[in-house]
Amino acid sequence: MAGSGRDERAWVRRAQAGSVSDFEALFRAHWGRAYRAAYLVVRDSAAAEDIAQEAFLAAVRSLDRFDRRRPFGPWLHRIVVNRAIDWARARALRPEAEAVDAPAPERPGRDDELLQELERLTPEHRAVIVLRYLLEYTPGEIAELLELPRGTVNSRLRRGLDHLKERLQ
Amino acid sequence: MKDFRAPGESEAAKRSWQVVRAAYETREPVSWPRRHARPLVAGALVAAAVAAVLSPQGRSVVHSLRKAVGVEHAQTSLFSLPAHGRLLVTGRGGTWIVRADGSRRRLGDYQDAAWSPHGIFVAATHGNELVALNQHGDVRWTLARRAPRFPAWTGTRTDTRIAYLSGGRLRVVAGDGTGDYEVGPAALVAPAWRHGRGRLLAYARPARVIVYSVDARASFLVKRFQGARKLEWSDDGRLLLVVGPRGVRVFGLQGVLFSEDHPPTGSVDVDAAFVPGSHRVVVIRATGSASKVELLNARRNLFSGTGVFRQLVYSPDGRWLLISWPTANQWVFVHSHPRRIVGAARISNQFGAYPRVAFWCCAR
Repeated sequence: MAGSGRDERAWVRRAQAGSVSDFEALFRAHWGRAYRAAYLVVRDSAAAEDIAQEAFLAAVRSLDRFDRRRPFGPWLHRIVVNRAIDWARARALRPEAEAVDAPAPERPGRDDELLQELERLTPEHRAVIVLRYLLEYTPGEIAELLELPRGTVNSRLRRGLDHLKERLQ
Repeated sequence: MKDFRAPGESEAAKRSWQVVRAAYETREPVSWPRRHARPLVAGALVAAAVAAVLSPQGRSVVHSLRKAVGVEHAQTSLFSLPAHGRLLVTGRGGTWIVRADGSRRRLGDYQDAAWSPHGIFVAATHGNELVALNQHGDVRWTLARRAPRFPAWTGTRTDTRIAYLSGGRLRVVAGDGTGDYEVGPAALVAPAWRHGRGRLLAYARPARVIVYSVDARASFLVKRFQGARKLEWSDDGRLLLVVGPRGVRVFGLQGVLFSEDHPPTGSVDVDAAFVPGSHRVVVIRATGSASKVELLNARRNLFSGTGVFRQLVYSPDGRWLLISWPTANQWVFVHSHPRRIVGAARISNQFGAYPRVAFWCCAR
């Protein structure tokens, strides 16, 4: 679970000054949600690990320039979700290659049906559902994160939910 | 969905924390003055480069830039190397060995060349032949194969292997020219042997980087990677560096991403290399009409200049970095601690054309 805004600003400040333990606190607070978000979009645990890890490596590179007044989570989630969408699109374009190299997607122990139906959505629709219902961003925040018009976010949410409702009924 | 837990979450967290922590610990915190001075310096350099291009007076700007980075006093020829060892260079002017005292021997008209593991022989390619030569240029054996490229030689004093590309396939042959066999399809990228025990070979396919075990004759690792241009192992054989169109990535033996570098829009990573004996990486980054060599994740600029830098090659003792600078027709040798810069000019005049450095071999 992410820390309070004050905790987080302190972690970022001390991590910028070189404190490994504060950087670790930042990592622990955000890893789970970043990995889950990536997994739900790409449905491949190895790829999700790579994507979440790449996002944290980007955070390391940008740490000195990071504006401490801004929350860390949305900045990280923007990277995670955009890379996950790119990865899922690329996989859709070369399904044969993936069949050879990628391990079969692992199934979680519960909510199988919901997750299977989520997989039928396009990566773009999956991403807005994940941002809204896993990471709990508002449609306005999602629009800002993905640099999309608010109406597009709303329509993707609506279509995604309609699809899930129809299939799960 | 709030309560959802993805499979493998805690194991992935443990693995990733190791990688992220290593990247964090190798970064160099930027002080406030440096953080704010950098854009000003960058702006001044860009302005200087633009001035150089746009006005005749700008030549003096280039001159002053070169003076600032220390190559104004470049030797008028390559009189000697700043460290022990021998360079193997190749290009349209042929394949040459350059010794530490500056003496050169032309081996012949070969396209690519590589030292044997102890620097006694050279594997080279020419037309439809893979050739093994001694240091006098005498041919020891040849192997007829379609348009061979990029030989890479590894092994001990008694048992060696040469990997090379031919007809879009990776092939491996013993150091005496026997037992040649095909591994599989490969992109036109120089394969790289891992240092140390176990004959592992990294090679590229158009959308993959593959680590192949020659002893097991099986792929050890397959990693998705579009358009790899260069592969290099760290000295301890634990990390593999891959340069591609979207920057540099460093993978562990299990395929886990160890570190990466995405150049900003408008910039491209031309070449990269491990700092010898470490997991740190230096990279050539070209932006518009300027190039610079910097240490990744430390944002430390080692050298910068106008035009194109092509290659980074470390001396066998790891103390000198050769930067190939075709725009200036120079080689620049940079010593980090203490900082020294030695330039050698008119490189293409000495080798018939501006050459590519195949390797800087052998401490003594």
